[in-house]
Amino acid sequence: MISSPRALEEKMALFWHGHFATNEDKVRDYRKMLKQLNLFQSAGLGHFRSLMVGVAQDPAMLTFLDAGVNIKGAPNENFAREIMELFTMGVGNYSEQDIREAARAFTGWNYAGLEFKVNVDQHDAQEKEFLGHKGNFDGVEIIDIILDHPATPEFLATKIYRFFVREDIDAELQSKLGRVLKGSNYNVAAFLETIFLSRDFYAQESVATRIKSPVELLVSTYRKLGLKQIPGAPDFNMQTEALGQRLMHPPTVAGWAQGRSWITPGLLLERGNFALDVMFSDLSFIPLDRYPQYAGGAETLTVDARIRAGLDITSATKPSQTEGGDMMAMSNTMADRDEAFNTRFASYRGWQMAIEKVKPIDRSIAALDLTKMVMDARLATPDAVVNYFAERFLALPLDEVTHAQLAKFLHNELGTDNVPAAETYLEDPLRALLHIILSRPEYQLG
Amino acid sequence: MNPYKLNRRRFLSGAVASAGADICAPWSLRNALANASVNSDNDRILVVLELSGGNDGLNTVVPYADDAYYRQRPTIGIRPERLIKIDDHFGFNPGVVGFERLWKNGELAIVHGCGYENPSFSHFTSMAYWHTGAPNSGNDYGWVGRLADSMSPEPQLNYIINIDTTQSLAVRSAVHNPVVFDEPDRFQRKGLQPALALLDHVGTSSSSNATQAYLNDVATSAREASSLVRNAWSAYKSPVDYGIAPLQLPKIAACISAGMPTKLYYVAFRNNSFDTHVQQGPLHERLLTYAADAVHGFIRDLERLGLADRVVVMAFSEFGRRVPENTSLGTDHGAANVMFVAGKNVNGGHYGELPSLTELDEGDNLNYTTDFRRVYASAIDGWLRQRHAAKVLNGEFETFPIFS
Repeated sequence: MISSPRALEEKMALFWHGHFATNEDKVRDYRKMLKQLNLFQSAGLGHFRSLMVGVAQDPAMLTFLDAGVNIKGAPNENFAREIMELFTMGVGNYSEQDIREAARAFTGWNYAGLEFKVNVDQHDAQEKEFLGHKGNFDGVEIIDIILDHPATPEFLATKIYRFFVREDIDAELQSKLGRVLKGSNYNVAAFLETIFLSRDFYAQESVATRIKSPVELLVSTYRKLGLKQIPGAPDFNMQTEALGQRLMHPPTVAGWAQGRSWITPGLLLERGNFALDVMFSDLSFIPLDRYPQYAGGAETLTVDARIRAGLDITSATKPSQTEGGDMMAMSNTMADRDEAFNTRFASYRGWQMAIEKVKPIDRSIAALDLTKMVMDARLATPDAVVNYFAERFLALPLDEVTHAQLAKFLHNELGTDNVPAAETYLEDPLRALLHIILSRPEYQLG
Repeated sequence: MNPYKLNRRRFLSGAVASAGADICAPWSLRNALANASVNSDNDRILVVLELSGGNDGLNTVVPYADDAYYRQRPTIGIRPERLIKIDDHFGFNPGVVGFERLWKNGELAIVHGCGYENPSFSHFTSMAYWHTGAPNSGNDYGWVGRLADSMSPEPQLNYIINIDTTQSLAVRSAVHNPVVFDEPDRFQRKGLQPALALLDHVGTSSSSNATQAYLNDVATSAREASSLVRNAWSAYKSPVDYGIAPLQLPKIAACISAGMPTKLYYVAFRNNSFDTHVQQGPLHERLLTYAADAVHGFIRDLERLGLADRVVVMAFSEFGRRVPENTSLGTDHGAANVMFVAGKNVNGGHYGELPSLTELDEGDNLNYTTDFRRVYASAIDGWLRQRHAAKVLNGEFETFPIFS
């Protein structure tokens, strides 16, 4: 995303990853996740039909929505429900009966290794009645019926529009967008071209009203800073997870809720702290792949310390939080009860074995040179620097009061209004200034 | 129960009726009386716990005396000998020892058959109905948010706290800015000393950009709440065992114990955890253990802090699960479900009626017997003493006598 010359392809892949949300925690096979990601990158801007069929036959999706247990005589409705509710039409356009019938059509769809495969003897080839059509449908025919349904283009077009342009969109525009997508025969690239060339895309209500997602925030920050690769610290996945969007781990099958739900008081502060970590590297940063840190991790470290101190396994794996002697919760009692299945000891050993295999991640920090940026732009005064940063980083102009405060801040830090004269000690004040700008509410708008 | 509190409450309810009492009331009581006019004359707190994903109520509180249960669930039905029997009809899932402890103390109310007309089987739609308290329609604001608006029509800082990574629709309010954070230790603006004042400065937004105005509101809320929450958390240390997954409840205990002015707290299980389509037995039992351990630990911890009289926890899920098991040793999305209310001031026992396991709807689901908004109304009027439930919920709902 940072360095690809085909940025739109990457951005669209991000959209589809949230749309066809598949969580690695359930799939538990990075090869399948990678294959799905390649599909989003290669087919994301093409015709939606090929993408939808590709996803329905994608091993990661088949795993995620329980295709393995969707068999003739005992259909599992999980995929059939979500393909209509979340992937194509939206709720309210089909009945529970349609879900059951569609589930029958997808029976026997499975995978072998990394390839799609139909288990013919598990497929229900009998007649189905789906959305008013009758026939011995299979999954692809179900998808075609769904694509012919008038709700589908509108649902998809609206969601894509919200991702790229703005949240607030009235019913009239929704149906218009639906017609455009349908008119292009579900060609995503052609649809986007129409949007990007429309007057609406440049209208006031479309400018800077969209909140950047965490992944967009990191990627756009790094791009605006002119970086060519993602810094290893702060860690990209830890940072985006703390902000609410860890890639390959969408929270539910509905993907990430967009828009205002990206921001809470806690997350707004977290976004500012991310900017601080980019400007001034955090010396206390410990890569989690070398160090168990969170709730379960602290327990693992306690076990490690006790075993090294010579305690026997039973004593070493006693839950530390109940040392006060208070009543033990059932979950802790169970984890504690049976040494042959001692989860605390297993976690400790698991960490040891994992650490032996981990290939360390490059933890280089962002190579910033704001002094050069400012000197190259020949900025003479604090006011000019604030202007330059605001234009380069913000989608909205700063209000006058804030602008004046920021210029004053830089003046105070430099002890002069002559920026070039301060060249030798310019870097830290510029970074502090940029930290403030990137922490502002306006910076969250894209 | 603390006798002083009981007397005080009785005295107050009498005093509100007779204005003359004001004259002889000590200062603190006069203060309380002044607040009575906005119906926040008590220090009661409501904690809502969301069991997201659709908890299987039938395998949580099992009607073991009903043969139909075992006929519908020949493999995943929990055998009577494994259950924690609470009476001659119902037994708890073996995982919920925490609930059993509350039940024995008379601190757990079980409300059966909670649901609504024309149930949705979509997680997201049904959850939105529960969040807004508006089944088959919806609302721009959540029911907790609207409750806050009716309790205090003037905006108040730190009135609602939602501990999570994202804000729940349930707490969205027209008046108040809910405080939403995940880790208290990270709920902090970091920066270099000379930059701090500017980092806290919230600018003005252009009148036409509603998103910008929203962001500025959030920034203000963050600034006002973060140090309170962090101080509360760093001052809090508890010997009570909340189990392996405490569900943010210790953080709530910390906030209450620090005297935060928050009336309404909202927490949730992450990621649709309870969506047990496949091989549900051990997984479901474990999830229930986490929930029951955490709620039990929370109530005990509040007791330790001397705050248990002020707090109740209400737990719900967006739907129950299909009555017959599926062929994957799991259950699919269903309808009516059980709700739980726990706390020291709860009258423990059964409320509502378990729907028939033989007269199901056409999709093999339980027909609801209790409109879930009756439980909301009970919390609003019965617990928080608001007399506003009809306004908050846009309709009259009969309350249950759950609270003492």
